[in-house]
Amino acid sequence: MTDASALTGGRITPWRRSARRLKLPVAVGISVLFMALAVICVIAPFVAPHDPTFIDPTKSFLGPSLDHPLGTDQLGRDIVSRIIAGARTAVLAPLALAAGAVLLSTVLAVLAGYTGGRIDAVIGRANDILYSIPSLTVAIVIVGVVGGGFTLSIAVLMVFGLPGNIRLLRAAVLERVNLPYIEAAKMSGLSTPRILLTQLVPAISPLIVTSFFLQVTFAIVELSSLSFLGLGVAPGSPDWGLMLAENRAALSSNVWAAAGPALCLVALAVSSNLIGDWLYTRYEKAGRSR
Amino acid sequence: MTQAQSTTPALPAIRAKGLSVFGHRGGQPVSIADDVSIHVRPGESIAIVGESGSGKSITARAMLDLLPQGLDAKGVVELAGAPLAGLTRRQAQRLRGGELAFVMQDPFTMLNPISRCGEQITAKLRDENGKRLSKKARREQAHIRLGEVGISDPAVADRYPFELSGGMRQRVAIAAAIAENPRVLIADEPTTALDVTTQKEILELLSKLRDTHRLGLILITHDLRVAFSVCDRVYVMYAGEIIETGRPDDLVGAPRHPYTANLIEADPPIDRRLGSLASIPGSVPAPGSRPSGCRFAPRCQWAAPECEATHPSLETSFSGHAVRCARADEIATDLVADLHRHRQTVLTPLRVDDGSVPVISTRAARRVYGAKVAVASADVDVYRGESIGLVGESGSGKTTLARMMVGLTRPTSGSIRVAGVDLAAARVSKGEWETVRSTVQMAFQDPYSTLNPQRSVGSALRDGLRLTDKSSVPRRIDELLERVGLASSYARRMPAQLSGGERQRVAIARALARNPQVVVCDEVVSALDVSVQAHILNLLRELQSDLGLAYVFITHDLAVVRQVTDRIYVLKDGAIVEQSTTEKVLDDPQHDYTKRLIGSIPHVELMTPR
Repeated sequence: MTDASALTGGRITPWRRSARRLKLPVAVGISVLFMALAVICVIAPFVAPHDPTFIDPTKSFLGPSLDHPLGTDQLGRDIVSRIIAGARTAVLAPLALAAGAVLLSTVLAVLAGYTGGRIDAVIGRANDILYSIPSLTVAIVIVGVVGGGFTLSIAVLMVFGLPGNIRLLRAAVLERVNLPYIEAAKMSGLSTPRILLTQLVPAISPLIVTSFFLQVTFAIVELSSLSFLGLGVAPGSPDWGLMLAENRAALSSNVWAAAGPALCLVALAVSSNLIGDWLYTRYEKAGRSR
Repeated sequence: MTQAQSTTPALPAIRAKGLSVFGHRGGQPVSIADDVSIHVRPGESIAIVGESGSGKSITARAMLDLLPQGLDAKGVVELAGAPLAGLTRRQAQRLRGGELAFVMQDPFTMLNPISRCGEQITAKLRDENGKRLSKKARREQAHIRLGEVGISDPAVADRYPFELSGGMRQRVAIAAAIAENPRVLIADEPTTALDVTTQKEILELLSKLRDTHRLGLILITHDLRVAFSVCDRVYVMYAGEIIETGRPDDLVGAPRHPYTANLIEADPPIDRRLGSLASIPGSVPAPGSRPSGCRFAPRCQWAAPECEATHPSLETSFSGHAVRCARADEIATDLVADLHRHRQTVLTPLRVDDGSVPVISTRAARRVYGAKVAVASADVDVYRGESIGLVGESGSGKTTLARMMVGLTRPTSGSIRVAGVDLAAARVSKGEWETVRSTVQMAFQDPYSTLNPQRSVGSALRDGLRLTDKSSVPRRIDELLERVGLASSYARRMPAQLSGGERQRVAIARALARNPQVVVCDEVVSALDVSVQAHILNLLRELQSDLGLAYVFITHDLAVVRQVTDRIYVLKDGAIVEQSTTEKVLDDPQHDYTKRLIGSIPHVELMTPR
């Protein structure tokens, strides 16, 4: 088979080779940088220049200064320090929410798509019902009635995050269950759980990644909306959505008290979206069959 | 078919001069096709042949000004002597479809699924004042055009494309293409998606239309037999340029370029079984990484140092036979002698039934889907170490039968015994499945979906290996890869980094991972280029003699069947209509259907060089 070893050069076109090299677009670079900053804030909140909960009524609504780069809020708390402390809920909660939603969706979608029949019908119809419910409105009602709580809002929004993802992933599973590589796995005698875990899930993994980052974006917006309405984190805790609500009345005295957390929210949502998009493109290209 | 030449007027119907196509990468132009010059006279048919990556389709699209986004063409295209360059978008649009017609490979996507066939044929027809025809006139035209392409049933005009068979669709597409009496018809692989009997009809139709409409016909194909049997002249393309052109007789009898000779040698003959098929080492270089000298030099057995140094030009020798090879004159006699010698190689004997118990045995196996009977009642035996062929056109049930043999499809009734286990039984135990899995394995047709795009080659092989024996898996992966002729570094590669032929090798390795006695090969070579096909067929034969494998070969290609199988079952509409040894079936077919199948293969005397 010497002729075959000559084939080793393969037909990887130079195009594909360069596509596989790490190419980081500027926008994605900035996004990654911002995400990294946010993560630093989460794991090392002590980088904050002030105690985010230290109240000094004499310094109410100060403008930006060297000591307080973004000024202070009504109770004289440092905005920068509060933004840094708020990164905790702003980053961790959406990540947890998205991880939970996508994990559950993947399990249900793979189950529905692969087994088909009655299981598929039950999951599908339940999904349709869930899809028809306006998620944020219902979340507001539930969280409001039960009496608030951050964990509860995460849980409720997680459930409402399922339908879209399940639909997307189930369609992807259906597209692949009858492909030769899945049949070849059956032929080689792999057990069904192993086929699902080692064949089907990797096959749809680019979509799982996209779903995850898309879900993170939605979660950032939805969770801060709830906080904004006073239904998320406990009053007084540093949270970007809550800060926005507390300081929106003071736009004339210190615009940064509201604009700071607002810009951070936008930047975080956009970053996660861009990173997800870029990862998907890279991932999908690496595994593209033609 | 060559009488058209005697009556040709001076002016070609279409002529491309120095046509080049460029893509762009990182701001730099990357050449895809270079300096292609092609001409067709009215009433003449030419073929552009080449493997995938040769640039044949891109050249045709450049002539039609239908290049995909991001590609640019340079050079001159003249239609009946008038250059196409400088036309407005509107004029160019009118020419396309009017003077220049195009038929594509896939009859399933070429027609609009939501519009009736008659409407699609007459969509662009206008009367002499440029007005749309009346409804009645359009109907009439549709019927006339359908008649021209051999559809006598006028009701077809009112049908939707999805109600028609593939061959009928291709006819409708051709009817639509010639509706405005074009000068030139470009057909890009028009028969590749069709069965061999339908292919014959479509090729005959195209030849007929060429004569009746005095069309300049450009046929783009990868199939040498098709090209040589229908066309007056053939252009052979390699890596973006024409490397040889001439009349089919000249090319077949005395090819002057080593690549053409290699291609002819690699094409398996239908009428004899060769000891081993010729294959070309390496693969077609991609645009951007083509050698600066002769582009075929790295793969050429005749290459001399001067071949790599200078890029040869296309030199015309006699009667329009042109070749792009610096050593063409030196090696001419050797090349022909070589071709001759290759065709004289020893035939390998068929294996004969040794009277043992069959490994796989189906009795009255039947599978129905609703009202449709996929397999009616099949009795097939597969003995140890032999190779059988399941032959038939699409819809004949050959794939369903094979899937029943491996347990991917449950039979509706009858029995399927694999190593003593009846797969039709109400319950097949886990242990019994293990027996079946380690007895029979399968390799699939499409090299692009046979491997999981997100998993490396090594992990694809690991699954099966671990199930037979958990020890020293990495070493056994290397061994398997070596068995199918791949370096062990391939274990880390992703499928996207492999060529079609390499993927099929991995797929075969994966089937071998469980040490089966029988491998079911479902059209494993039909999606591959002819030189790669030869690699894979040689590999399969080598594996058979080394490992004592038995094959169940599903294919529509009788030439391939001749090369690898000992016995053949011919299927039609789910029933086995003929079965015997390969030689008997192919040389002396009994059933009408088998005779028709064999008669439909484009007939070229590839066998007897002059």
